[in-house]
Amino acid sequence: MALLEITDLHARYGMAKSLHGISLSVEEGSIVGIIGPNGAGKSTLMDSIMGLVENTGSIKVAGQETTRLDTSDIVRLGVGYAPERAHLFPYMSVRENLLVGAFTARETIEEKLEQVHDLFPVLKDRWAQETATQSGGERQMVSLGRALMSDPKILLVDEPTIGLAPKICDGIARALKRLNQEMGLTVVIAEQNVNFALSLAQEIHVLETGSLRVSGTPEQLRSDPELTKAYFGH
Amino acid sequence: MARPLLGWAIFAVAMLLLPQFVSNGTLRIIIFANFLAIFAMSWDFISGKTGYISFGHPFLIGIGAYTSAILSYRFGMPVSLSIPLAVLATMVGGTLFFLPALRIKGTYFALVTLAFMELMYQLVQVIRPDLTGGTRGISGIKTILSGAAPNFYLSFGLMFAIGLALWLLSRTRLGTALDAISMNEEAVSGSGLNTTRLKLFAFMVSALVAGLGGAFYVHYLGSIAPRALFDINFVFTIIVSVLIGGSATIIGPIMGAFFMTFLLEYLRPLLPGSERYLVYGMIALVLYVYQPKGIMQILKNLSLRTRGPQTGRSGNV
Repeated sequence: MALLEITDLHARYGMAKSLHGISLSVEEGSIVGIIGPNGAGKSTLMDSIMGLVENTGSIKVAGQETTRLDTSDIVRLGVGYAPERAHLFPYMSVRENLLVGAFTARETIEEKLEQVHDLFPVLKDRWAQETATQSGGERQMVSLGRALMSDPKILLVDEPTIGLAPKICDGIARALKRLNQEMGLTVVIAEQNVNFALSLAQEIHVLETGSLRVSGTPEQLRSDPELTKAYFGH
Repeated sequence: MARPLLGWAIFAVAMLLLPQFVSNGTLRIIIFANFLAIFAMSWDFISGKTGYISFGHPFLIGIGAYTSAILSYRFGMPVSLSIPLAVLATMVGGTLFFLPALRIKGTYFALVTLAFMELMYQLVQVIRPDLTGGTRGISGIKTILSGAAPNFYLSFGLMFAIGLALWLLSRTRLGTALDAISMNEEAVSGSGLNTTRLKLFAFMVSALVAGLGGAFYVHYLGSIAPRALFDINFVFTIIVSVLIGGSATIIGPIMGAFFMTFLLEYLRPLLPGSERYLVYGMIALVLYVYQPKGIMQILKNLSLRTRGPQTGRSGNV
């Protein structure tokens, strides 16, 4: 059974419709990439899964319908979210940011902190630093760490590489891969950085103006000349 | 934990010894500072912590003050009963305050709360003036204690208990979550926290404190009048106290309230009219430009400079 199952999802911001009937499923233990240009609806899709935007259709997490649930209940079901541009609490320390993420998973705080520190050792040294004074890469790490603190089964990551240097992107990619392989976490990545998504994901969905254009493995997508021209830059 | 608690203890002892050393006149000023500190902490808990800026805090204080005044003066209820009822009434009022916060924030929320206060000012004079005393208010309200020193102990005890409780509360994970709301409410709900419930909690705590403060204040003054309470100057005195002291710190608003009260008192002989407010406005402006985080931050920086970074902390602090 798919861990995340989306059927005929429509979403809107006020009057503007931004998703038109999306259906896709994410298998447990996989890494799935959602790619597409600006405004394609990637973030809206993420926000819909989290119950942060008005939507109709069906979203099931581990078989349970979540469209009527509060965001807090969706997090409790095991969905972690690292939103676009990190969205940290700027005047709180790294540690406090992480602890806010742990609000729904009090029993596992120590274990999860250790896991985050193991994944991003720099956060252990910088635990008392205000995140407003950190670099973009470190903020992205705090954001991923905060999402992990809720002890998720599935992690949604929105544009983790935005504005980051290639070397730092590699670090983020390694961390996501480790989370998937060593800890068995299912990961959904929304990215404009197509190569980043292709290098990690086993399955890719291409989103364009609110609809799914095509889905497939990275190899399948690479072999499609039109897609290659539009997205892969060759 | 131990160090700040020691600070609270020293503060308490110093204040309790104070009546031995200063005149009754000064004590009366400090009594007012104690009440202003309570109001400032109440404001700080909504606006400093969650970032929902209230311009109508006297609405809450007024419900507490009027309820207790009317119950004890018109219906002869003992103060020991009228004050708890007044606090309850204020918390109901706090719910009213909370409703707009579900949909709006920032400037809009500030304006709506300001409207609440103005509405209350008008209503108090029109609706049942036989109860509220209309424009002239009520005087001859039962006072709890008489004399400067007893009232000083009472107001200080109340302020100290509220301050310590709020400070302890703000050090819990709940307090951290409330801080987080002011920085990025969406990310708080994205982390799985129910922001509506958190905000409601903050508003209830704030209303409880405002109600307590308002009720005790009216039983100290022995009189109440709408213009003295539902006044924009009163709002600004509260807000500036918090900002000068350092918002979202609990201790900051207490210091700010004392600073403001003494400033206004010392200016009184020089500038008897409302020009005083011009001077405090300028002081607040200068301080705010120099250090937006207020006196608390200035003290913190000073102590860092004199003692060096605290030991036992790794990384950049």
